[in-house]
Amino acid sequence: MDEFSEQASRYIELVYGIAPPNDAALGFLGGLAAAIEQTRALRDRLRFEDEPAGFEVALRDLKEDP
Amino acid sequence: MTALHTLSLAEVASAIRTKRASSAEVLDACLAAVDRHGARLNALTWIDRDGAQAAAREADAALAAGGPTGPLHGVPLAHKDMYYQAGRPATCGSAILRDHVPAVTATVLQRLRAAGSFAFAGLNMAEFAQNPTGHNAHFGHTRNPWNLDYIPSGSSSGAGAGVAACMTYAALGSDTGGSVRLPASACGVTGLKPTQGRISRAGVMPLSFSADNVGPLARTARDCALVLRIIAGADPADPTASAEPVPDYEAALDGDLRGLRVGVPTNGFLGEGTPVEAAVHAATAVLAARGARLVPILLPYAAAATAYLIVIMRSEGAAVHERWMRTRPADYGPSLSGKIYCGYAIPAPLYVEALRARGPILRAFAAEVFDAVDVIAMPTIPGCLPTLAATDVDAGGAGTPAATEALGVNTRLFNYLGLPAVSLPIGFDPNGLPIGLQIAGRPFAEGRVLKVADAYQRDTDWHRRRPPLA
Repeated sequence: MDEFSEQASRYIELVYGIAPPNDAALGFLGGLAAAIEQTRALRDRLRFEDEPAGFEVALRDLKEDP
Repeated sequence: MTALHTLSLAEVASAIRTKRASSAEVLDACLAAVDRHGARLNALTWIDRDGAQAAAREADAALAAGGPTGPLHGVPLAHKDMYYQAGRPATCGSAILRDHVPAVTATVLQRLRAAGSFAFAGLNMAEFAQNPTGHNAHFGHTRNPWNLDYIPSGSSSGAGAGVAACMTYAALGSDTGGSVRLPASACGVTGLKPTQGRISRAGVMPLSFSADNVGPLARTARDCALVLRIIAGADPADPTASAEPVPDYEAALDGDLRGLRVGVPTNGFLGEGTPVEAAVHAATAVLAARGARLVPILLPYAAAATAYLIVIMRSEGAAVHERWMRTRPADYGPSLSGKIYCGYAIPAPLYVEALRARGPILRAFAAEVFDAVDVIAMPTIPGCLPTLAATDVDAGGAGTPAATEALGVNTRLFNYLGLPAVSLPIGFDPNGLPIGLQIAGRPFAEGRVLKVADAYQRDTDWHRRRPPLA
């Protein structure tokens, strides 16, 4: 088991009391690590909204002109 | 008259309204299709024949009495089995909810009922709507009506297969990462994911609070427009349902694409080198013949959007399933419990980051793309459809996870961005399976994307093709 999966599975057990249900679970942890790596690459390049509600505002702002 | 079960939703609603066919006759046509193909396709989880026949008789009596009727009066429909109806099953494709009977009815079903339709069956689906292939370990896999060895795609697998096989004139599915558009593409029907928040989700099983969408599958873009107008709009029972006005989507379907700028991505989204690419170019040529201008574009932020969407879906899905994951983990299919499990490892600040990035990424995307084009055209699935065997992740086998994940590479971007996107049939691959084109647009531009799809369907007949078994 890689380090991320090992630490993540210990954390999940500690906080939620949920053990890995099967080997597939450890595989999915690996996939999650890859997704997290993608977000790390963005972090310095994006200016985030102050709060998530900005998304709904963006949707309204960007709709077509009637 | 053309065989009743093969009519579009709009055509059958008109036939009932003008008394060229009765609701009872229309229902019989659907039930006959279910009897012919239901076992082979495994598209249904339950059916209420007695209730449906009573509803049809009531509809016919109301019409005979000359009372007011709605736009879908007397039309039988079936929906993905995650839409709660008081007193009826809602299995959500799961062992855990196999015996679940809700006490509430989803707002969208109430609206369809008020429009005169009635629901007669639940459609099979991926367990808890959580795979893009349609595999289901508890109810059996739904099969593609065009070739039973192939995936119908998912997670609205029964909806795609059921509409294609003429068991139902339309169906509500759900789309969090592609689950309306993927089965629409794979089964050769039309399916719409609306703008995030366009349609109420009250009374619908949640997968991911921030990314779930209700969406229709039907035989035509016009049918999707008809359903959308009925079900869209604000809902006191769902504070996330937008108060944006609901236009007459059908009225916008005039076939006029003059001046429309259609963006065609050049950075790896077209299924380059596959038969899908050729089909997409042929399809966009049809749009150009109607006056659209094809514009090469680069689609930005796809990798970021996919990564953040995964963070959101896994976090929220883990929250939804937390109690069952502790008390009934063995009652999930093994790949699903594994998928849910990893959500518990996501730190809360990362989840919030994924939500906070959504607005900025959407604005940046719009500035780069929608300043140059009005809509985007690209394949729904950028490759030939795989078989059920090749994507059965629970059965194991090298390559099955990758083959499964590859299905949604072109759809997830629009889920994270919250943009409307429709999939429509544009031909067949060398194995005889349908190919779908995805048209995406600005927020709340459902009318425009459906207009493009409808214009294409005026000049082609892919949407009228029926599987050999139908």
